[in-house]
Amino acid sequence: MAYVALRSVRKRYSDKEILKGVSIDIQRGELISIVGPSGSGKTTLLRLIDGLDFPDSGEIFIDGIKLTMENAPKLRKKVGMVFQNPVLFDASVYDNVAFSLKFRGLPDDLIRQRVEAALNLVMLNDLAKRSALTLSGGEAQRVALARALVYDPELILLDEPTANLDPANVLIIEGALREANLQEKTVVLVTHNIFQAKRLANRVALLLEGEMVEVQETESFFNRPLDPRTRRFIDGDLVY
Amino acid sequence: MDHAKLALLASATIVAVLLGVAFLGPSGERVIVATTTSTADSGLMDYLKPYFEAECGTSLSWISLGSGQAVAVASRGDADVLLIHDREREEQFVSSGNGTLRVTVFYNDFIIVGPIGDPANASSRDAKVSMGSIANAGRSGAALFVSRGDNSGTHALEKRLWAALGIGELENLGWYKSAGSGMSATLRLASELGAYTLADRATFCRLKGSMGEALRLEVVCEGDPSLLNPYSVVLLNSSRYPKIRYEQAIDFLLFITSPEGQGLVGNFTVSGERVFFPIYGKTESIGLPPEDEAVAIIEALRTRGHVV
Amino acid sequence: MWCDSMGWIEIFLDGISEAFGLILSSDAEILGIAALSLKVSMIATLLGAAFGVPLGFLIASRSFYGRSLTIAVINTFMGIPPVVVGLAVYLLLSSSGPLGFLSILYTPQAMILAQTLLTFPVVCGLTVSSILALDQRLKETLQSLSAPKLWEAFILLRESRIGLITAVIAAFGAAISEVGAIMMVGGNILGYTRALTTAIMLYTNTGEFALAIALGIILLLLSFGVNLALTILQMRYRKKR
Repeated sequence: MAYVALRSVRKRYSDKEILKGVSIDIQRGELISIVGPSGSGKTTLLRLIDGLDFPDSGEIFIDGIKLTMENAPKLRKKVGMVFQNPVLFDASVYDNVAFSLKFRGLPDDLIRQRVEAALNLVMLNDLAKRSALTLSGGEAQRVALARALVYDPELILLDEPTANLDPANVLIIEGALREANLQEKTVVLVTHNIFQAKRLANRVALLLEGEMVEVQETESFFNRPLDPRTRRFIDGDLVY
Repeated sequence: MDHAKLALLASATIVAVLLGVAFLGPSGERVIVATTTSTADSGLMDYLKPYFEAECGTSLSWISLGSGQAVAVASRGDADVLLIHDREREEQFVSSGNGTLRVTVFYNDFIIVGPIGDPANASSRDAKVSMGSIANAGRSGAALFVSRGDNSGTHALEKRLWAALGIGELENLGWYKSAGSGMSATLRLASELGAYTLADRATFCRLKGSMGEALRLEVVCEGDPSLLNPYSVVLLNSSRYPKIRYEQAIDFLLFITSPEGQGLVGNFTVSGERVFFPIYGKTESIGLPPEDEAVAIIEALRTRGHVV
Repeated sequence: MWCDSMGWIEIFLDGISEAFGLILSSDAEILGIAALSLKVSMIATLLGAAFGVPLGFLIASRSFYGRSLTIAVINTFMGIPPVVVGLAVYLLLSSSGPLGFLSILYTPQAMILAQTLLTFPVVCGLTVSSILALDQRLKETLQSLSAPKLWEAFILLRESRIGLITAVIAAFGAAISEVGAIMMVGGNILGYTRALTTAIMLYTNTGEFALAIALGIILLLLSFGVNLALTILQMRYRKKR
């Protein structure tokens, strides 16, 4: 069975149906990119996988276990999430990253080792002692990525991690994602930037108005799309 | 052990220590006298405190209230002994069984004071005449009267004087102001308003001493026997109020009725004037009924071997 | 005539010079009164915070039926007149009251209890509003990092620490400056429950204005000292941003 499996997931917020029966299988170790215009339900999809919210109907399986309100805290321990506009704690960069290891009860020297490795990955070792609230948007996003990677999750969820960032920061983050994926982590990257999907992903999925239109190998997705809407989306004809 | 739990434990410890400091402190031997503003504000209690404490080894504390409020506090068992001046209330307190023994210990006298120059022409040897003049001037808009209005002994005396003149429904009169305050505050209010008021001499002297001519009041009537103001000590019924410090209350009673205590009261002066006059066992001398029975009980208590 | 001999300026200047005289001469009675005020109000503030912060946090971070009503009630109690608290505590601690067996009426303990009831809603209400003012994504971030409840609380409180210090400053201000409650349950007993505010009232009543002004100045200085310390702490946190 797939590492993450969604079965006919529906979710409605007040008067608007955001997800209209979404099904998808995400394989262990793959880097899948979910693309689609703003408001198509990508963020909601990630939140449901992280157990921050729950579907109205349909099912979600993580590593073969059905996600419920009761087991969400337990399943989430293997999941790292990077929000679109991350919130950092009013503490040093180091402490922000070390936080989740502290309450996992790791010994101090192991914490230091892991935090340094995570900061290295996003090239922030120089700023370890800086107050996280003084960072630029790109640096803050990199700290958030390090914070999500440091406890060695099996699955990483990213919500538009490079929106509004300059190329230097985008390169560092993409590099870190490739590195994570090389370490057998499953990565779900939500983006509206199809070029980023093309650069990074093994597979690409198009979510449009709450419906999963198409999921394909990256190469096929861009060159031989099955659905005409995918064609229009990658050609930039789909106005959104 | 993780940091958050450690922080929680540390906070809990601090709270426990604080609660301990706050509520487990030793509260020592003491006696709480519910007394009137006149004995407290005049400084008599401050003056007696060190003598009593040296004699009995008990800390002397007092709550200064109007006589009515003092009786109310004692009725709830929140004071150990009463030192007040409102004979009607005192007798009622004893006859209702809340108190067991009442004895007159000293007296002071009331005076009628008013604005400098006495605009109401209230100067008189007779309190009734004086109050009548104030009322007349009040009706014609030439004078104001400020009442304590706090159910104190002073307030009770004032109401008796008005009643003797046939003046009632005081609260509806335009020239009559009810202050709802202690003696000092009422005197200051009268001074500010240019009004007349009834005051005990002790408080008036004390205030005159501290404020000097800023207290714009002068005496218009003094020396009338109806203005004599006897103070009594009332013992509470210890079977009705088992939690009061009864032994210490008796110590206070024996102290203030002892020759030493009576002498101290007589020697106490405010701005050079004696303001309280000892009267224990000699109530007939100011025209009050004798109190032989109470005196006999007190003297028996004294020989029983109390400290005093 | 009397206006010339004892004008208000003289009274005021007299008071100020007497105040510094008293402070410099370390008059034992005055020091005792000031120390009692400080002790009672500080303990009441700390106790109010010890109960108000956790409860405020729970109210702000849980959703439950009647939460808005609860917050409205707490906010109302933030402005409760001290004399009402004094009356309630008096009736509670009175010999014939439900807590009469404690025998702590007219003691500093009773004053601490009354002031704690005053500081508690202030701290609780301001804690609720500073937690509610936090970025709502903060809680979600903690959740997604799998932070245990206790750690979540620890971080959220830490993030709102500037607001919490404001709460403590406001609570201490309310405690040290109130007179109604401690007058009623402390009784203004010389050398035992006489605090700065109740002494000021007494000396004003007895016309000793210079002494009253002196105590007023001491009260202001004490209050200023405590507030200065707390504000420095607050600014230190703010500088990091």
